Amino acid sequence: MLRMAEALRRALNLGSSAESEEYTTEAGPPLLLLGGPGSGKTSLLFTAALEAAGEGRGPILFLTQRPLQSLPRGRGAVLDPLRLQKIRFQYPPSTHELLQLLCSAHEARGPAPSLLLLDGLEEYLVGDWGPQEVAYLAALLLDTAAHFSHQIGPGHGCGLIVALQIQEEGDSGDALQLSLLQRYFPAQCWLQVDAQGPGQHCLRACLDPGGQGPRAEWWVAFQPDGEMTVTPWPAQTGNPSSDKGSSSEGQP
Amino acid sequence: MAVALPGVTLPSVVEELLSEMAAAVQENAQIPDEHLLSLKFIFGSSAIQALDLVDRQSITLISSPSGRRVYQVLGSSGRTYLCLASCHYCSCPAFAFSVLRKNDSLLCKHLLAVYLSQVTRTCRQLKVSDKQLTDILFTKKKQEA
Ligand SMILES: [Zn+2]
Repeated sequence: MLRMAEALRRALNLGSSAESEEYTTEAGPPLLLLGGPGSGKTSLLFTAALEAAGEGRGPILFLTQRPLQSLPRGRGAVLDPLRLQKIRFQYPPSTHELLQLLCSAHEARGPAPSLLLLDGLEEYLVGDWGPQEVAYLAALLLDTAAHFSHQIGPGHGCGLIVALQIQEEGDSGDALQLSLLQRYFPAQCWLQVDAQGPGQHCLRACLDPGGQGPRAEWWVAFQPDGEMTVTPWPAQTGNPSSDKGSSSEGQP
Repeated sequence: MAVALPGVTLPSVVEELLSEMAAAVQENAQIPDEHLLSLKFIFGSSAIQALDLVDRQSITLISSPSGRRVYQVLGSSGRTYLCLASCHYCSCPAFAFSVLRKNDSLLCKHLLAVYLSQVTRTCRQLKVSDKQLTDILFTKKKQEA
């Protein structure tokens, strides 16, 4: 099982990770998390960070332009201060500073991150960006994660998840940008607001692990108090049976 | 694995060719003619230009004490281009146009030369400080902007 897909799957299947020792430590492909405004990308990234922080491996590097407005609640047990301490937030205010951070990542001392997360990639792609600049930013994200993997040593990679806000109907400029990013991020998770799902604010999450495994889908629902619940999509096809474990989790 | 990930891995047919070439080079110290033909068939004129870059030892592997690595290729025009070691990226205009924008070639001649220099083990090596490596990675982008 691919680790990145697994990390997200676990982020989506909160609480169903009883058999966590089974998870492999292979980093898997970099993952692009795509969705419109308010589609829960930040919550999912943060949940993935908390899950990874509970693995007893290196710190988690969370890059975003500004501090999170609120921490997603998830399930009470997951918001453990020890886990929170392992998440290192950095707020590069501009593309220039993001690039500088990635280019100098090998100068940092201390244990290498086991997971690199970037929220709001679209905010770093504003302005007049040619294909080469977009590709360089994507390639540098991969290169930084690859360097962390190298530092960690064989068998334990550093994962990479990047969230990008997309418009429902992107113009042609966005289409080129998206296809460039997809070149470097073969695995993608699409989030869509779905009015038919359970809960107040419900999303449909579709994970395509880049041709390296079956697609998988979930409902992600946010309750009015901010709690996030995740259930497998009813019409799921060919997915590992471990997903069934999360259905016993149920709705509150 | 049948699926090629264009930004990260090569199609399996190219991977196989490169590993066969590496084995042949280790045995005979040169690339067999049939491999050169396959290379030309897959990459067209880029193959010849890439082999030329390898012959002229134009590829330098730059590394710092951190273990981070990057390739620098001296192009036929005398300009140097940056190629990342972990995924497909070259700072040259052909990569931007033919690979990224038009999507009608797999690699530019510099990236192909990097792969070939790994096969023939003819990479120059350059050790720099961590700070110098940062500058190489960072200024490359400004040059091209
Ligand atoms: Zn090039």
